[in-house]
Amino acid sequence: MNSSVRNIHAGPMTMGHRYRLQAAILTAMWSYVPMAVCAADAPSVPAGHVHAGHGATRGAAMPWTRYPTLKVMVGGEGRQRRDVTLIPRNVVPVSVDAYASDPQAENYHRQLDYDLIEAKLNQPSAGGFFWLSAREEQADKVLVASTVYYLSERGSKNPTGMFMQQKNMLEIIPQPFPREHTRYRANENWKFLVRFSGQPLAQQNVHLITQNGSHAELVTDVKGMVSVRLPDDFGAGAQAADAGKHSHGRAAADFVLAAERVAGGKTYVTGFNSSYGPDAYAQRSLAMGLGFLLLGMMGATPLLRNRKAAHKDRSASGAVGKQEA
Amino acid sequence: MLSRIFPTLGRFRFTVQIVMLVVTVYGGALLGTYMVDRFSKALPSLACSYDDMTADQCILIVTQHQLHHRIGEALSNAQHLALNVFVPTLISVGTFFALFFFLNKAFCGWVCPMGTLQELMYRLGRRLGRTLHRFAPAQVGKVRPVKWLMLLILVLGLPLLAGMGIAADDLGAPFCQVCPSRLVTTLLTADTEQIATSTASGIGFFLNAAGNALFGFSIIAALAVRQPFCRICPLLSWNAMFQKLSPMRLVKRQNDKCGKCRICQLACPMDIHEIGREHGPKAFHEDCTLCGRCAEYCPDDDVIQIRFLGLRLFGSGRDYYKQRVKQESPEGMPKHPVIWLTPIKGERHG
Repeated sequence: MNSSVRNIHAGPMTMGHRYRLQAAILTAMWSYVPMAVCAADAPSVPAGHVHAGHGATRGAAMPWTRYPTLKVMVGGEGRQRRDVTLIPRNVVPVSVDAYASDPQAENYHRQLDYDLIEAKLNQPSAGGFFWLSAREEQADKVLVASTVYYLSERGSKNPTGMFMQQKNMLEIIPQPFPREHTRYRANENWKFLVRFSGQPLAQQNVHLITQNGSHAELVTDVKGMVSVRLPDDFGAGAQAADAGKHSHGRAAADFVLAAERVAGGKTYVTGFNSSYGPDAYAQRSLAMGLGFLLLGMMGATPLLRNRKAAHKDRSASGAVGKQEA
Repeated sequence: MLSRIFPTLGRFRFTVQIVMLVVTVYGGALLGTYMVDRFSKALPSLACSYDDMTADQCILIVTQHQLHHRIGEALSNAQHLALNVFVPTLISVGTFFALFFFLNKAFCGWVCPMGTLQELMYRLGRRLGRTLHRFAPAQVGKVRPVKWLMLLILVLGLPLLAGMGIAADDLGAPFCQVCPSRLVTTLLTADTEQIATSTASGIGFFLNAAGNALFGFSIIAALAVRQPFCRICPLLSWNAMFQKLSPMRLVKRQNDKCGKCRICQLACPMDIHEIGREHGPKAFHEDCTLCGRCAEYCPDDDVIQIRFLGLRLFGSGRDYYKQRVKQESPEGMPKHPVIWLTPIKGERHG
């Protein structure tokens, strides 16, 4: 597997004492709250934590890939804040399809309301993972854009069966897709299965293109699997530049994995797109974290002194005091 | 056969704790990535959603998110508090209660990974000969309100204010940022990300720093103090709100000797002094985690029992007590080199 990435734009204590210390920590915490309230506009934390807007970002209008993508946008004002809008790019589909997590469900597969500009994922009967797909068929070419969206509602099922059901001729399927509270992040390896007509495709070229300007050429192994390491291509100004309302202002960018195959006189072009965040340790300090951990440990060490030893110490210091007197 | 494998309630509970530790920390890796969506997402113990391998999630993170993203935002937008705002929260609480109904606060004493690890640290402390620091009744009285403050401020108040736009968005899940279980469960999967302190914002930095210090303190303190974090855990107070609604409960009947020997009080890992002198509903205190140690170490027949729907699941007994103290003191000091291999004769189960 070739996973090279060419980055274009990248740049003697008593219980009372012990709990007084703990109370001090808590008191400090409470006293911080007013400051926190005043800091409502402070920049947010990029953590491995996205839920309602899982896989969704507000995209820039500039085209960053020629491959078909299906942009998921979440939010609006007031009652529209949970609306999920899908915008096909580089593909002109007749319809946009949604597949629910449970293949046995009555409305497992449905065509969404689509006005040739955008489609709405309206009123699903249950939450969980949705496979969203837009397909355009020309005389000699089939273009497919796919993505996955997680709806944080009840009734979620294991989506593995749904992911694996054949929906198109040429498919790129995440193995697995990040579950709720996690997301794709830079410098992490994620696997994808590439299939044609339901069969794994070995030695298939796969293109990785990111919104931040990186691209890479990858090749599937004998099982049709490709391991993708998302590049750390978030520049200094990337923070919250493309983050949706529900990603809490965390930096995010889109990527697409695309494959092309010619068969039966037709060219099949399929893209799977999603969003990804910066490296897990971006804007985090392991050294400081360990420092505070050690500080807490040191705070508890007086508790580890045995009473006899502590008593002896006290007696000794008392004796010294008497002698000095 | 079962009584040979699990001759004491303590050994049975320890086994359950280890199994649940594996499930709550590594269950997703063993049973499938998406298991977390299929089980409950409302577990009455600190199963952490920051752990990528967990098989379930704690009710507290769900509550914080729903207050932050649904109720708080809805209140802020002056919308009607429609079904799609409150129903998910009610469903989460209902799912939690469906589980809680059967085990009550045994989720704290038998399932919670943080509780299990503190107990393991305490056992290590006994092996290392560290002095046990007990809480006197006056000290316990000062500590007990902290868990309610943690619940009201960190789990309910700040997420709601963040959702309404009054507090910073970083305060959407503040308890999770200080919860030691987030650190311990992720570290057990060899993930050091959560130990790293956020430097992106002052709030994130402060919460992470406080959480790391609290975790460090708790894990070392557990060598000499029983269940140090459990005493201020908001899940203890959350579960206490529903304690009386479950048919699983600790029952203590009046006995002339009560208040004299107080061995049950010594055995209680939460230093609930009421267990030694009270009976009836007062004996089943809000801090009780249904670990059953008070019943194990009561030297009188059936004075303390664990009951479900009125059925006796386990009860104290003189013979059982005699065997139990040969194995371990009420305060948890082992009498044999390896507890697990200690043979017990004449044991009996409830």
